[in-house]
Amino acid sequence: MTPTLTKMTKVEVVVRGDEAPAVRELIGSVGATGYTSLSGVSGLGHNGYHQGRLLFNQQATLELIITVVPNARVEALLAGLRPLLDASSGVLFVTETYVSRPDYFS
Amino acid sequence: MTQTPAVASKTALKTATELDSRRARLRSDIRLAARVLPTHYPLGTFIAVNPLAGLQNMPFEQAIRRAGDLYGSCGTLPESTFRSLYDQGRITDADLDKALTRRYPNLLDEPPLQVGGRRLAATELLRADLLHGATIPDPLRRNRIRCEEVAPEVADTVDAQSAKWSAAFLGEAGWPMPGREGGFYSAWRDLAPTDRSLPRAVRAELRATAMRPDDAVLAGLDALGVAEDMQLTYLQAHLTRLPGWAAHVQWRADREPGINLLQYLAMRLSYESALLTHHRGGPADDALQQAGWLEPPVARDRAAHLLTVLGMAEATEAEMPTVARILAALPVPARAMIWQNAFEGHYHDQLLTDLSSHQRIAPVQAHTQLVTCIDTRSEGLRRHLEARGEYETFGFAGFFAVAIAFTDLLAGAPAQLCPVLISASHDISEEPAPESGSIAVRRVAGATRLAGAESAFHAAKESMAGPFALAEAAGWVAAPLSAAKTMSPSAIGGLRRRLRNLISPAAPTVLTVDSMPLTERVLFAQATLKTIGLTRDFGRLLVLCGHESSSENNPYQASLDCGACGGQGGGPNARTAAVILNQIEVRDELRRSGIDIPGHTVVIAALHDTTTDQVTVLDTHLIPPSHRTDVDRLNTDLVHAGRALAAERCDILPGAARRRSPTNAARHVAGRSVDWAQVYPEWGLAGNAAFIIGPRELTRGIDLQRRTFLHSYGADVDLDGTALETILTAPLVVAQWINCQYYFSTVAPEVFGAGTKTIHNVVGNVGVMAGHVGDLRLGLPQQSVRHGDQLLHEPQRLLAVIEAPLERIDTVIERNPILQQLFGNDWVTVAAREHPGQPWRRWTRTGWRDWTETDCPSVVYNKEMI
Repeated sequence: MTPTLTKMTKVEVVVRGDEAPAVRELIGSVGATGYTSLSGVSGLGHNGYHQGRLLFNQQATLELIITVVPNARVEALLAGLRPLLDASSGVLFVTETYVSRPDYFS
Repeated sequence: MTQTPAVASKTALKTATELDSRRARLRSDIRLAARVLPTHYPLGTFIAVNPLAGLQNMPFEQAIRRAGDLYGSCGTLPESTFRSLYDQGRITDADLDKALTRRYPNLLDEPPLQVGGRRLAATELLRADLLHGATIPDPLRRNRIRCEEVAPEVADTVDAQSAKWSAAFLGEAGWPMPGREGGFYSAWRDLAPTDRSLPRAVRAELRATAMRPDDAVLAGLDALGVAEDMQLTYLQAHLTRLPGWAAHVQWRADREPGINLLQYLAMRLSYESALLTHHRGGPADDALQQAGWLEPPVARDRAAHLLTVLGMAEATEAEMPTVARILAALPVPARAMIWQNAFEGHYHDQLLTDLSSHQRIAPVQAHTQLVTCIDTRSEGLRRHLEARGEYETFGFAGFFAVAIAFTDLLAGAPAQLCPVLISASHDISEEPAPESGSIAVRRVAGATRLAGAESAFHAAKESMAGPFALAEAAGWVAAPLSAAKTMSPSAIGGLRRRLRNLISPAAPTVLTVDSMPLTERVLFAQATLKTIGLTRDFGRLLVLCGHESSSENNPYQASLDCGACGGQGGGPNARTAAVILNQIEVRDELRRSGIDIPGHTVVIAALHDTTTDQVTVLDTHLIPPSHRTDVDRLNTDLVHAGRALAAERCDILPGAARRRSPTNAARHVAGRSVDWAQVYPEWGLAGNAAFIIGPRELTRGIDLQRRTFLHSYGADVDLDGTALETILTAPLVVAQWINCQYYFSTVAPEVFGAGTKTIHNVVGNVGVMAGHVGDLRLGLPQQSVRHGDQLLHEPQRLLAVIEAPLERIDTVIERNPILQQLFGNDWVTVAAREHPGQPWRRWTRTGWRDWTETDCPSVVYNKEMI
């Protein structure tokens, strides 16, 4: 039997390693229950190519932070994230998602 | 008309969402506002930082002007100091002309002026203005909070209260702040209304502050009439009032709960709002006016002044506009940067000429290779050791690529021994060596007893009644001991050392690295050896030499230790790396990657004490008998090198007689290291100005005067540029922090320097205050950068000198935005060449230029910017 799925919102943010604490704090402050982060991501973007993992510098590389929140919390989270991203290089993706255990996310 | 329940619920939800959004936006604004704050590490792990790191996305010139607006800080030395340096020949006419024409290339096309019957080139005129033009006052803080503008005494009260409660919460006082466990804001909210030093009405107002700190900040902003689009700027104005406390709170917040900038600002804004509401008294005169802030003189006035100074007062009215037109190209506030560029240019040109003109010394087959930290102080040790014979030396970051959390034999909290750019990846513990027998047990027991006695002494000093009993019980011995420590520090230092060794004798220990996977051990070994270009021709000894500094009664001890080891001594890292490089399985793997360490090579660890210039070989019990003679020779040569270096350093150490014999100099510096009244134990990295990346042949034989970081690099063993990228994105970045820390502690000592050590009060492990109240002091103390009126640190931005293919450098810069920022925004100047004998080239945003070329304009900022 297919489990019942609950619609929620997935927010993915890519920022420099030294900006990541600000994003994590914001995620926590709007009541999100957790996040997943992936450090040392590389890629090509608005500000050119970004090197991935550097041997002795974890602050200058990019970090991908993913969180899932109930729809009611999206607006507040985006209100906080937007100014952060306006002031630094980084990208934000917001997509619909479905979870099977909604109590984990709210 | 009443709302239906559904509409009311919807409205409430909308209001709640709006409030949540406003709170979230506030958190972001605080983070953004705090970007201009320096990072403030606690004293125990003091790490040099660029206090303007948050402005590094701006060109340097623009960043220092922005800092002037925010803090009222200077961005360069005053013009009067530059003029003194000119008089001493440290800046020449040629340096000034080069700086002028690099900034204004059109000056070269300007025809000579006829003024008062004399011909004057445009550059001569501007040079005269630099030398004789009227100066302007230091910058004043322009981004101010409400009460700063209308009632400065209220701003002072807000600061005093903020400093008091911050110290109470963070300062590890004998009596902890009541309610501390509930967090800063909650504890403050409970206590502040009971503060009888405030008027009753203000206390009542404070009693009504919001439960949540974000709501308290928003209420404060609303009460003070701060528009939402000005919120960030206003918060920044609050944070920059006491940048020391704000910076420390920010550092603490990302590491442990209890306090953060939101709570700190909630306190400040609540005070400001309450105090202003009940403030009686008229509006204050504008502080800018009070301080005599004036618009810079107009070009015509400057022209008249200059012609008078030059004795050309007979210039005609018709000639004046031409002179004024030329002067207008160089606004008065921009002059300091011309001086700064000329000052740096003088050193840069001299260094590059020295590097080009000296005869390269062909590498010898060395019996010993010594790898030291890149720290500028290692340059002196390397130079003197190389002078002893067949030694080859290398420079690498002093953590030797092993990022470890180290627990010593006494099993305290592990120390994070790695650059702050990364996290420690392995736990390394010190264990008794099998042959240590009962000595290790005695060491631990003795150290525990000593720590207990020290702790009891300090607890008694800080308790309420304890000091009276302590004075009765221990005063008879403490007073003579204090007198003896002051009168004869060397003798008492030696006695204490012997006593300590008796109670807690040194025990042979070993470090176990088996918890590290072999692949990672091999990676560390490869990273070290390949980066410095040491892949063959190994001698009998390979010495990994970390460094630390010993001084007494010095809260800034960590600033003298190894920055690459998190502001601590580098011995454990050197020992760990030596263990790894001696392992057969590691050497087997290295051989597969083309690094063949022969069986006759033994890797040993050593430690350079930069205060005494004594180098100690560590873990001597692990040295095989076959290499004892080699180590004896090394020890002898290190003693000679250390003494020679001590004699060299005595030339500039305050209170040290010049031209001491090496033996006397060594005795003198050893005495300084145990003198509790000595505020100048050593000069640390004062004078740092360049970072050289290349083989040692590039610099060997040149006295670089301990001003250069030296990172070894062999371009021919780094074809894919990985090693160069590692050097540029980590050691160079840390060196630039150090460079900027010294720079701003010198040019803006009031804001980014810690003031004189003689009035410092230590606040727990947090920092120091000058006196008993006020802000935490940032940066380095005065005794790290100057002696009296004499600058020991000449503030210059870092010059990176690289010997590597230019295309490889470009590739690394292109894929690392941090380097584009540092190089493109003039925080670091880059000079490079691929091979010896080639001319040096300058990196610019538009491509490589000849170093001597003046027609490569630096970025010129519009008038509004400057």
